[in-house]
Amino acid sequence: MISQFFILSSKGDPLIYKDFRGDSGGRDVAELFYRKLTGLPGDESPVGMHHDDRHFIHIRHSGLYLVATTSENISPFSLLALLSRLGTLLGDYCGSPGEATISRNVALVYELLDEALDYGYVQPPSTEGVRNFIQAEAVVSKPFSLFDLSSVGLFGAETQQSKVAPSSAASRQVLSSRSDQSQKNEVFLDVVERLSVLIASNGSLLKVDVQGEIRLKSFLPSGSEMRIGFSEEFCVGKSELRGYGPGIRVDEVAFHSSVFLDEFESHRILRLQPPQGELTVMRYQLSDDLPSPLPFRLFPSVQWDRGSGRLQVYLKLRCDLPPKSQALNVRLHLPLPRGVVSLSQELSSPEQKAELGEGAFRWDLPRVQGGSQLSGLFQMDVPGLPGPPGQGPSASAPLGLGPASLSFELPRHTCSGLQVSFLRLTFRPCGKANPHKWVRHLSHSDAYVIRI
Amino acid sequence: MTDSKYFTTTKKGEIFELKAELNSDKKEKKKEAVKKVIASMTVGKDVSALFPDVVNCMQTDNLELKKLVYLYLMNYAKSQPDMAIMAVNTFVKDCEDPNPLIRALAVRTMGCIRVDKITEYLCEPLRKCLKDEDPYVRKTAAVCVAKLHDINAQLVEDQGFLDTLKDLISDSNPMVVANAVAALSEIAESHPSSNLLDLNPQSINKLLTALNECTEWGQIFILDCLANYTPKDDREAQSICERVTPRLSHANSAVVLSAVKVLMKFMEMLSKDLDYYGTLLKKLAPPLVTLLSAEPELQYVALRNINLIVQKRPEVLKHEMKVFFVKYNDPIYVKLEKLDIMIRLASQANIAQVLAELKEYATEVDVDFVRKAVRAIGRCAIKVEQSAERCVSTLLDLIQTKVNYVVQEAIVVIKDIFRKYPNKYESVIATLCENLDSLDEPEARAAMIWIVGEYAERIDNADELLESFLEGFHDESAQVQLQLLTAIVKLFLKKPTETQELVQQVLSLATQDSDNPDLRDRGYIYWRLLSTDPVAAKEVVLAEKPLISEETDLIEPTLLDELICCIGTLASVYHKPPSAFVEGGRGVVHKSLPPRTASSESTESPETAPAGAPPGEQLDTVPTQGDLLGDLLNLDLGPPVSGPPLATSAVQMGAVDLLGGGLDSLIGAPSFVAPPAAAVPANLGAPMGSGLSDLFDLTSGVGTLSGSYVAPKAVWLPAMKAKGLEISGTFTRQAGSISMDLQLTNKALQVMTDFAIQFNRNSFGLAPAAPLQVHAPLSPTQTVEISLPLSTAGSVMKTEPLNSLQVAVKNNIDVFYFSTLYPLHILFVEDGKMDRQMFLATWKDIPNENEAQFQIRDCPLNAEAVSSRLQSSSIFTVARRNVEGQDMLYQSLKLTNGIWVLAELRIQPGNPSFTLSLKCRAPEVSQHVYQAYETILKN
Repeated sequence: MISQFFILSSKGDPLIYKDFRGDSGGRDVAELFYRKLTGLPGDESPVGMHHDDRHFIHIRHSGLYLVATTSENISPFSLLALLSRLGTLLGDYCGSPGEATISRNVALVYELLDEALDYGYVQPPSTEGVRNFIQAEAVVSKPFSLFDLSSVGLFGAETQQSKVAPSSAASRQVLSSRSDQSQKNEVFLDVVERLSVLIASNGSLLKVDVQGEIRLKSFLPSGSEMRIGFSEEFCVGKSELRGYGPGIRVDEVAFHSSVFLDEFESHRILRLQPPQGELTVMRYQLSDDLPSPLPFRLFPSVQWDRGSGRLQVYLKLRCDLPPKSQALNVRLHLPLPRGVVSLSQELSSPEQKAELGEGAFRWDLPRVQGGSQLSGLFQMDVPGLPGPPGQGPSASAPLGLGPASLSFELPRHTCSGLQVSFLRLTFRPCGKANPHKWVRHLSHSDAYVIRI
Repeated sequence: MTDSKYFTTTKKGEIFELKAELNSDKKEKKKEAVKKVIASMTVGKDVSALFPDVVNCMQTDNLELKKLVYLYLMNYAKSQPDMAIMAVNTFVKDCEDPNPLIRALAVRTMGCIRVDKITEYLCEPLRKCLKDEDPYVRKTAAVCVAKLHDINAQLVEDQGFLDTLKDLISDSNPMVVANAVAALSEIAESHPSSNLLDLNPQSINKLLTALNECTEWGQIFILDCLANYTPKDDREAQSICERVTPRLSHANSAVVLSAVKVLMKFMEMLSKDLDYYGTLLKKLAPPLVTLLSAEPELQYVALRNINLIVQKRPEVLKHEMKVFFVKYNDPIYVKLEKLDIMIRLASQANIAQVLAELKEYATEVDVDFVRKAVRAIGRCAIKVEQSAERCVSTLLDLIQTKVNYVVQEAIVVIKDIFRKYPNKYESVIATLCENLDSLDEPEARAAMIWIVGEYAERIDNADELLESFLEGFHDESAQVQLQLLTAIVKLFLKKPTETQELVQQVLSLATQDSDNPDLRDRGYIYWRLLSTDPVAAKEVVLAEKPLISEETDLIEPTLLDELICCIGTLASVYHKPPSAFVEGGRGVVHKSLPPRTASSESTESPETAPAGAPPGEQLDTVPTQGDLLGDLLNLDLGPPVSGPPLATSAVQMGAVDLLGGGLDSLIGAPSFVAPPAAAVPANLGAPMGSGLSDLFDLTSGVGTLSGSYVAPKAVWLPAMKAKGLEISGTFTRQAGSISMDLQLTNKALQVMTDFAIQFNRNSFGLAPAAPLQVHAPLSPTQTVEISLPLSTAGSVMKTEPLNSLQVAVKNNIDVFYFSTLYPLHILFVEDGKMDRQMFLATWKDIPNENEAQFQIRDCPLNAEAVSSRLQSSSIFTVARRNVEGQDMLYQSLKLTNGIWVLAELRIQPGNPSFTLSLKCRAPEVSQHVYQAYETILKN
């Protein structure tokens, strides 16, 4: 069971400290944790850090460290899940949890902790479950205004570049004060997919998988029933393809416990009564068979003159998205052999950028339209590189070049083809305007690797 | 208005100001003041001086204020126990409050105040709250019992709270059930013997029902609790599995992993032929794969668990190789773990795919990862024979890159490939030799030197190569020096004419100029071997080495079973048993997998003792001997490994292989004078003696009527110490012949063959009279009984204790050592009856200081029974007298080596204690003769 819980700022200052077992070394433990974490070598996992009999499990959440310690043989999964749940909970109650928010709301945080953990036993810390027991009111930095909605982004998607600005929806607390009920009339539903692809140097596809999740943030009162519909050809499992045609298929699905599946088999409708706050409605994954072509193809060619140490890389990037779609923040990262001294480039359009840094070069393409093709020619000098013997130009790549990896975001696109066709609220809260419903789709790269 | 301003007040009069505010009449002001106090407390300021003032605020209707005060109390009550008493009244009152929130709050807080004086007051309110109508209060009270137990266990038992807690398991509210289960599990762990969580089919059924209703966290508690249950037969196991399986698709990974644990454990009981078994296997894979889509930290935890599962049941994930392909943006610790699993899953079917991947990895940037990838290629070659050729050519390609660290790793693994497939790939030696100069790491240098020495006859300039290493002999690491010494000796034995000078040079470097004792010892051994008996030297040094085993660094099966029972916990992340890192007695109950029991035989099979359970008495093997010997005779390629289960056994194998070879040749040619075990200092076995005699004393089997008493078989070599081979045995003497009855059980995953046995020299010259005959290979879980005839014609060396016997057993996996004690009565010969005159004369002749007296207690037999029982074990009664109501028995016995022992046994009717006087020319045997008496008379 959990012995202690603390929240540290990004600099290691303790913001919240709670001891459940009375068996601990007090606050020094927080310091000890921070020292251990900062001194951790790269090839060791931060999961099982321990000092004598004390084991640390932590996550980073909005720049804070949420840390639990235990001296027993306990499931690290449940602790990690708990910590991220606590992070969400803090967000639901206090708005975006940051150092300032936490120190403004110490009493509230302690109250939440008391409900979520008793004697180190995890109590169900759902936003709704805890709500009745909480007395203190959150002190929010700035009042929520409707104007913020103009810049609504994705709240759940932490993309690799973290370039999606946190929206106002994300930083707003779900539970505003009890008196003021009028604003709570919105539902956000995000379908976010992460795409991992591995392409061999001969262009054949070695591995592709899609991890998707549907996240819901509801400001409606708890228990409001809603229905999420998918297109009918959506099916689960390897054998279950219906009829001909492309079909939308996923391999594995897991649902949140508030989801009722009675209409899922027949009509592909999820009925759910979500508690207020944020939750993952559905998680799914798909591997190997994508219904649509991969978003990007890279055609590299490498010329390497060992004698002069000149390395020439020509990259052609083709975007196979439908012409109306586009990819944003595309970045190609190509590790280079050690000792590259200079880079010269010829790029196919002016908005692109390429630069050299830390043993690799980056090629940035802020926006790539579907169906377009971009290219770049890069020349480098690599003196004194070991490699296969032989003189003169050769087409084989020197050691240390590649693999290329791409990162990107595809707004309004899901790689699995899964689309939410409707989101209906079963009943309308009386006396109020129709709730705002926001449904968004997004894919982004997780590891999109092309070997050279 | 924000709380942040509370942090800014740092003036001197702060405490005074707060005090004033706390005593204010206005509620709002009070609340703000308490908030400030809490804020100061959180940042570590000492505000304990305000204790009375804060406690005064406790009696309030304002729940928010009350909570704040309670928060303060929890923090400071321990430092001010006397003041804390002040709060008790309010607590007790709050426990009766109509608002369940306040009742629960009071119970929760009281439990957190770890002050003894308060606990007394806690009992009554707690008893009420445990039966409260509100489930929220009940679950809080359930947790409070655990808290109280931690502070004062006796009190909890006296007050009968444990029974109430047990009742809560059948509560209607799943939240209460979950907390009660959690509390009980924890209390039960601190009292392993108590039968608190008495799991039976009924309570299991209740738990399974609650499982469907409760929250994900409750599900984790319940699943973990289920995992501790042992179903009575396979039908019950299957029905539990069926009800647990839906948890596999839960969104919370912790629930999934707990469910996997239950299934993995109960699957052990299901027969593999069952359709259901196959279905279950298929269902396990997808959720495990899903776990890998999480953040790197979670992935790492999942991978460590999958690593265990793959070792236990590779079939679960055999089609999922691709998910373990490394992503470029994985953190290095995830990459290494994936690599490990890839190799475990490698098979003939997917080896091409794996090799292609590994080759890619070997050209990446990260040096550590590249090294591991190169090693992995070697491991593939050893694991999948069909791929060996491709692996070797891949390695050669990598060597051609001339990248320093890649070349070195490749050479290290090629050495292992040579060991596994001798006389197949030696054609590459030339290529290896080209890279001799670029090797700068000890391990690679040592591997290269080993190769040169081993194949000296094929390398024309082997002497030059080795000589070049010899120049900087003293700058090399110990590993390289040892290797160089062995390699040159090998070279000398193969090409004696040209290399005499070289070998003398290295021997003198090793013996005279080195301060490393291992090196010196090995040098001396070689020197003497070479100077006294070159033929023997050749047999020892150039003996054929056993092949290295296929799977390296497998977790040893008994540990693996324990870890499987800990899936999802920290133990499964560290790959260490919980006892290795959990303090005190908490949670250190050894867990083991249930034995496979079919429902039909469950009623009548008494032998359902857990298969993986460690034996009650731990007999020490003699691991140090192995290392010592390995060091002396052999070419270990690595620092001596002190045998942790996780150490790469490729290295360990290396450390003892020559000995294995030696043993082989010993058995082939028994005339060889010095058995390797003789190099072991005899007293190494000593500490085990007492443990063993305890064991014999405890045993209570029925001896055979004819022939001397036979002790029941005891475990001599536990499976944990011998890579899965368990040996138990006993000694018997029947009709004048001694034999060692052995029972060999294979608890490993692979078939065992090529058994051989060898004794160290011992006090009575016991030696195997025939080779160990195991006719068929011993397949996993199979047991074989063997009776090994012993002779007493072996070479004699006095051991300490006198009756200890050091045994080496070899199989295709390794050589194992153990030490055991034999009861002396197996040595009593059948013609040990002395005639009366002779007895009298001898008794007088033996000086009195050789007489030893012993008490045999609690023996209810009369003189006749004693006499006849002893006679069946060849202790003969020469004469019997009755002196003053006492029976005096005069007895004689003779040992196999001709030593006579004379005894006088005094028996008083009605007194169960006998007095035994022993006289013998070799008084050191008396103690053991006495023990033999004890053993015979009491069994």
